[in-house]
Amino acid sequence: MRLTIALAGNPNSGKSTMFNDLTGSNQYVGNWPGVTVEKKEGKLKGMPGVVIQDLPGIYSLSPYTLEEVVSRNYLINEKPGAIINIVDGSNLERNLYLTTQLMEIGIPMVIALNMIDVVRKNGDTINVKKLSEALGCDIVETSALKGEGSVQVAQRAGELAKIGYQGERAHVFGGTVEHSIAHIEDLIRDKVEERYLRWYSIKLFERDEKVMEQLKLSPDILKNIENITADCEKEMDDDAESIVTNERYAYISRLMQSCLIKKPRKGNMTVSDRIDRVVTNRFLALPIFVAVMFVMYYIAVTTIGAIVTDFTNDTLFGAWIMEPLAAWLEGAGTAGWLSSLVVDGIIGGVGAVLGFVPQMLILFLMLAILEDVGYMARVAFIMDRIFRRFGLSGKSFIPMLIGSGCSVPGIMASRTIENERDRRMTVMTTSFIPCGAKMPIVALIAGAIFGNAWWVAPSCYFIGVAAVIVSGVILKKTRMFAGEPAPFVMELPTYHAPAASNVLRSMWERGWSFIRRAGTIILLASMGIWFFSSFGIIDGAFVMADMEESMLAAAGNFMAPLFAPLGFGNWRATVATVMGLVAKEEIVGVLGVLARVSGDALELVEEGAFAGLAGIAGMFTTASAFAYLLFNLLCAPCFAAIGAMRREMNSGKWTWFAVGYLCVFAYAVAMIYYQLASLFTTGAFTVATTVAVILLFALIYLLFRKPADYASAGIKQKQLRAGV
Amino acid sequence: MMPLTISNVGETSYIRKIIGKDDVRQHLAELGFVVGEPVTVVSKVSGNMILNVKGTRIALGQSMTNRIMI
Repeated sequence: MRLTIALAGNPNSGKSTMFNDLTGSNQYVGNWPGVTVEKKEGKLKGMPGVVIQDLPGIYSLSPYTLEEVVSRNYLINEKPGAIINIVDGSNLERNLYLTTQLMEIGIPMVIALNMIDVVRKNGDTINVKKLSEALGCDIVETSALKGEGSVQVAQRAGELAKIGYQGERAHVFGGTVEHSIAHIEDLIRDKVEERYLRWYSIKLFERDEKVMEQLKLSPDILKNIENITADCEKEMDDDAESIVTNERYAYISRLMQSCLIKKPRKGNMTVSDRIDRVVTNRFLALPIFVAVMFVMYYIAVTTIGAIVTDFTNDTLFGAWIMEPLAAWLEGAGTAGWLSSLVVDGIIGGVGAVLGFVPQMLILFLMLAILEDVGYMARVAFIMDRIFRRFGLSGKSFIPMLIGSGCSVPGIMASRTIENERDRRMTVMTTSFIPCGAKMPIVALIAGAIFGNAWWVAPSCYFIGVAAVIVSGVILKKTRMFAGEPAPFVMELPTYHAPAASNVLRSMWERGWSFIRRAGTIILLASMGIWFFSSFGIIDGAFVMADMEESMLAAAGNFMAPLFAPLGFGNWRATVATVMGLVAKEEIVGVLGVLARVSGDALELVEEGAFAGLAGIAGMFTTASAFAYLLFNLLCAPCFAAIGAMRREMNSGKWTWFAVGYLCVFAYAVAMIYYQLASLFTTGAFTVATTVAVILLFALIYLLFRKPADYASAGIKQKQLRAGV
Repeated sequence: MMPLTISNVGETSYIRKIIGKDDVRQHLAELGFVVGEPVTVVSKVSGNMILNVKGTRIALGQSMTNRIMI
């Protein structure tokens, strides 16, 4: 028989560490149905047939956040065999708040009194026996970080699951409330399962709308319940929800007095408080942040990162895989087209993407360390005030930070943003920040056309940030994104030394999801593009052709007029842009091939040998070159990033909308720039100039218009959330 | 009574009232912001605050600290 044990607890209680400890690598990660809240389950190590279901980190079982709704629906509807409630022993009072609620559901439960090592280190004493008796619940002392006690907890949970429901546990509330609840229990006794009776009764007392909907009680009973609740409210002079909350806290604080002996501390400042005083100081916060980021990028991109990336691209894929493979295929007498498909199409395309993996892993490793230590939560806090002005929350900043290395992990990092609207907006705008793969285009344009002007590269970052801000403001005024960003609420974990297992796991999880994608979507795209660029119809016959006569060139010629108003309406530039969808650095390589540059254009750019790139420079004027740069910086990101967007938005429709928005935005900005630049340099005023001016005014209007009143949209949002 | 927003770093005060819509109040209550509870300001960055309540640091935006009366 398959037994499921649910893992529930507060955020930062060490839940994921324990989950990893219990399941090892037997994990399955997905989403809860219909929402983008991460769902993790795994097989319990050493106990076949037992599945551990990780629930999101929550503070309570109220219906106000998505995570809470997901958790309680799971506990009530899926009826797991037992619950392991992870309680942070160093912060007992807060953590027991959730415990009192979990206790009300009649599912067998064992408490993992976690971080017991910290409790001991602090010199505090918890009377476990007394606490266990008071709560009517088994307690096992654990330290997930040190792998202590996890196995015992799981075993105990398994045993309890076999015993099943054991009757009601401790009553938390005072006489008046318990009296009301008992009345409600009598009213609904035959409507619900016995073990859920108390939970439902308390929820009905709190006027929980979702429970009322779910139970479909008769108007008579509902009216009776309302009377009971109203009477109690009158007597206690408060509303039912507040009464319940207050009595829970009162109960817990009584428990604390009898079960917890706290060692008196010198002063009331903990180490974390003292670090926060400095790190989030009004004046020091930003300089410290900039310094941390500088060190991180310096290591990930410039020093170690560059070495491993070059090794992977040139040595591993270039010298060790592609060359011998090409030679082997030739030697084995493979057909030319097949060897071209394998070497140029598949390995070239996939390899270009995989080449970023080592660098990404290093960046991921450092980000994971910053996260595990607790600094990332502070970064979100520091940036929130600035981002809020543009309709984004501080939590949107981290994805953009990561996005400056690679958009894929950047987009994936948006997952920490709870509010769906804020998260979508972040996913949509993250790829505006120029990623590492866009840098060769920037270097090409700066070197070959602007004579290595110093301002080109910084201006690209500036344009990226400006695009994020402008889009934030514009989108926030549309119906889809209307409303203030969700109020900033975030628990800041205690600073602690990073745990190697957590850090490495996080690095690998992110890295692997990227690698896997390189094996699927990018593989297919590479094969597709290879096919279209290697075959063409010449003299009515379908044959293998040079790129210039290929189907891709034909398509480029067909599409080129579309880009004429942007100044680069030639098929070469068009084809290169399309190739950029596979990987952005391809743009430079393709331009080089098409302009008949001798040697690999990408390498020439890296070496700074711009004289050899005159062929590319000849395709553009200064105005059209910068417009080309603008368009490629801002338009749809590479397939890998689009795939990440699809995954994080959990909706094909939204992904198309996002990609559409990016392209339209890029087109408009590039066109406005090119047309106005042409107007000022040549004085030629054409139809396109008029369109550009109209677009400019439209953009300004969208930026500064008053947002319409979306009060009704707000209600709809709420219903959407409630409908989960 | 005054909003928590105007208190300074290092100050500890007792929560006297929480204003706002029911769900916001409930959410704050679940985080530990209940009437009678002491709350210490750990840090303050242009209106956003890091607060110590019930032994945990919680970062709150200004729209939330404005609702906590001390």
